[in-house]
Amino acid sequence: MSYLPWAIAAWLFGVGVYGVITSRHYVHLIGCLTVIQSATYVALLSIGYRFGSVAPIFYSRPTSTPAVDPVLQALVLTDIVVGATVTALLLALTLQVHKKRGTVNPERLRPFRQ
Amino acid sequence: MIAPAASVLVPLPVALPLLAGAALLLVGKFLPGRIPDAIAVLTAILVVAIDARLAAQSLQGPLVYWMGGWQPTGGVTLGIAFVVDEAEAILGAFMALLFAASFVFAWGYFEDIRAFFHVLMLIFLAAMQGFCFTHDLFNLFVWFEVMSVTAFALTAYRLEADPLEGALNFTVTNTIGSFLILGGVALAYSLTSVLDFGALARSLAQHAQDPVAVAAFCMLAIGLLIKGAAMPFHFWLADAHAVAPSPVSVIFSGAMVPLALFGLGKIYWDVFAPVPAVQLLMRTLVLALGMTTAVIGGLACLRQRHLKRLLAFSTVSHGGILLIGLSLPGAVSLGGVLAYFVGHGLVKGSLFMIAGILLARAGGIDELWLRGRGRPLWPAGIAMAVAAVLLGGAPIGLMDSGSRLIGTAAAARGEDWVLIAMVLGAACTGGAVLRGAGRIFLGLGAVAGEEARGPSDEESEKADRPLWLMMLPVTVLLIVALGAGVAHVDEAVLGAAQRFLSWDGPSSIAPVSVPPAVAAPGTTHSFVPWATIALALLIAAHDLGRAWLPGSWRRVSDRVLSGPVFGAIDRAHDGVIGDYVVWMLIGLALFSVSSAAALHAG
Repeated sequence: MSYLPWAIAAWLFGVGVYGVITSRHYVHLIGCLTVIQSATYVALLSIGYRFGSVAPIFYSRPTSTPAVDPVLQALVLTDIVVGATVTALLLALTLQVHKKRGTVNPERLRPFRQ
Repeated sequence: MIAPAASVLVPLPVALPLLAGAALLLVGKFLPGRIPDAIAVLTAILVVAIDARLAAQSLQGPLVYWMGGWQPTGGVTLGIAFVVDEAEAILGAFMALLFAASFVFAWGYFEDIRAFFHVLMLIFLAAMQGFCFTHDLFNLFVWFEVMSVTAFALTAYRLEADPLEGALNFTVTNTIGSFLILGGVALAYSLTSVLDFGALARSLAQHAQDPVAVAAFCMLAIGLLIKGAAMPFHFWLADAHAVAPSPVSVIFSGAMVPLALFGLGKIYWDVFAPVPAVQLLMRTLVLALGMTTAVIGGLACLRQRHLKRLLAFSTVSHGGILLIGLSLPGAVSLGGVLAYFVGHGLVKGSLFMIAGILLARAGGIDELWLRGRGRPLWPAGIAMAVAAVLLGGAPIGLMDSGSRLIGTAAAARGEDWVLIAMVLGAACTGGAVLRGAGRIFLGLGAVAGEEARGPSDEESEKADRPLWLMMLPVTVLLIVALGAGVAHVDEAVLGAAQRFLSWDGPSSIAPVSVPPAVAAPGTTHSFVPWATIALALLIAAHDLGRAWLPGSWRRVSDRVLSGPVFGAIDRAHDGVIGDYVVWMLIGLALFSVSSAAALHAG
C-alpha cells in the first residue's frame, strides 16, 4: 500500500487544526473542522482500496470477483452522517450565539468573562 | 471452560430508552403535564432492573449477544457483539440510576418546551449503555458520537450566551477527539482487518512490535482522554459543566466523564494489552497524566467561586484519580476503579443537585453572593457537608473503598508516592466544597481569598418544585454512596474486576475459564484517609477563617496564591477555543514522544 494517502491525511489534519487554532470566525472554524474530518475519509478509503478491484456490489457478477473492502465503505458512510450532524448542530449554535452576543469571533466568545 | 451464554436481555438497555425517546418525540406534544416525566423515570428504572438482572446472570459466565445473529463463522468475525460482564452491568445499572434520580430532580422543570429534554436524555442514556456494552471498535466510536451529540445539545439547552459559548468549546474540542478516535480505528483496522475486540487482541498479539499498533492506541486514548477530561485535554469541561442545566451536569460529571476513562481501560485490557509498548505507556505516561490531573484539578477547584465550575474542577481532579487506578495493572486496582466510579458519581451527582437547589431556591450560584443565604434550605446544607466529607476522602463509603484499593495496588508495586497526588486531589476538592457549605449555609467566611478572582455569573433556575422533591434524589444517592445496602464492597468489586480481566476481551471468539478468586488485600497506610480528611478540614477552616488570621500570614499567602505559579492555572483556563486546541496539540506531542521512547525501550 502506498504511503501517499497517509501523507495526505496527515496534511489535511495538520492544516485543519491550524485553521481551528487561528480562526477568527466560527463559520470558518467549522469549515476547518470539516477539513480535519476529510483526513479520516482519506485514511479510511485508502485502507479499504484494492488496486484492480471493483465496487463491492455483486448483483451482476460472481461473488468471487475481487472487490474493495465494503466494511471501510460502511465506516465512511457512518462518518459522513456523524459529520453532518455535528456540523448542523455547530452552525445552529453559532447562529444563536450571534443573536445573543453580536459576534462570532472565537477570541471574543469566552464563557463567564463578559 | 465456560461457553459464553446468550441473553435476550443484553440489547434491551440500549433499545428501550431509544424506543421511549422516539415515542416521546412523536407524541410528546400531545401528552399532558407530567406524563413525559413519568415515562422517562420509568424507562430509567426499567434499565436499572435489566442491568441488575444481567449482573446476576453474568456471574456464571460472560453474556455475548451478536446483533442480527452475525456470529463468527470459519474464523471470520464480521458481526457486532455486545459483551456484558458483571463490571459492565454494574456500571450500566449505576448510570441508569443516576438518570432516574436526575429525571426525578428535574420533575416538571422542562415542561414548557415539550418533551425535547426527555428525548435527548433518553438517547444519552441509550448511548452510554451501548458504549459500556459494545465489543466492537467502530461501534464504540458510534456510541461515543451519539453520546457526544446529545451532550452538546443538552449543554446549550438554555440558549443563552454563556451556555452557547460553553457548548461551542465543548463541541469543537470533543469533535476533534472523535476524529482522532476514528483515525485510531482506521489504523487498527489497517493492521488487523477486524473490529471485534477479541479478534483484534488475537491479531495484535502477532503485531506486538508494530509501531502502527502503538499509534492506533495513542489516537484512541487521546480521543477518550479529551472526553475524560485529563490534563492537558480537560479545558472544555469547566466551561461546559458550569453552564449546562444542573440535572444535565449531574450526568456529565457523574457518568459521562468517568465512562470515557473506563472506555480507555476497556480498550487497553480487551485489545491493546498484548502490545509491550502500550503497557509501558499506560504504566508511565497515563499514570503521570492522572497524577498531574488530580493535583491541578484540585488546585483549580479551590480558586473558584461559581459553584458549578468549582464542582466541575473537582470532577477533573477525581477523573485524575480514576486514571491513576486505570494505569496500575491487576484486579485490585481495577476493583478500586469500579468502586470509585460508582461512589464518585453518586456524590458528585448529589452535589450538582444541591447546586441546582441553590439556583432554584436561593436564586444564585456565586459562592460569595450566596453567603448565609442558604440558611432556610438547611437540609441541603447537611447533604452538602456529608457529600464534601465523602469527596474529601473520609474513611467511609464507596469512594473510600475505591481509593483504598487503588492506593493498596500502588503500594504493592512499591509506588507509594502515587498516594500523594490522590491525597492532594481529594483534600483540595473536599476542602473547597466544605468551604462552600460553610459559607453558604452557615454564613462563615466574610473575608474571601483567592476565589474572589474566579469567573462568575448571575444565573438562576425556575423555582417551581418543592424542596422535598429536590432533596429526595439527593438523599437516596448519598445513602447509597455511604455504602448502605452494599455489603462487602471490596470482595464484590474485586470479583467483578477479576472476571472482567479474564473474560471480557476474548469471550466473543473463545470459551473462557473461571478465574481464581482474589482475596481482599490488607490495607497498607491506613492513616491515609484520616490524613486526607484532616487536610480537607484544614483547607476549609483556613479559607473560612481568614478574618481571624494574622495580617502578615494573609499577605504572604495571598501573594503566593496570586503569584506566577498558581496564577498560571487561571490564565490557562481562559475560555478561548484556539488556546484549548493548542494544549491538545501539546498533549498529542507528549504521546508521540512517549510512544517513540516506549517503542525504543521495548
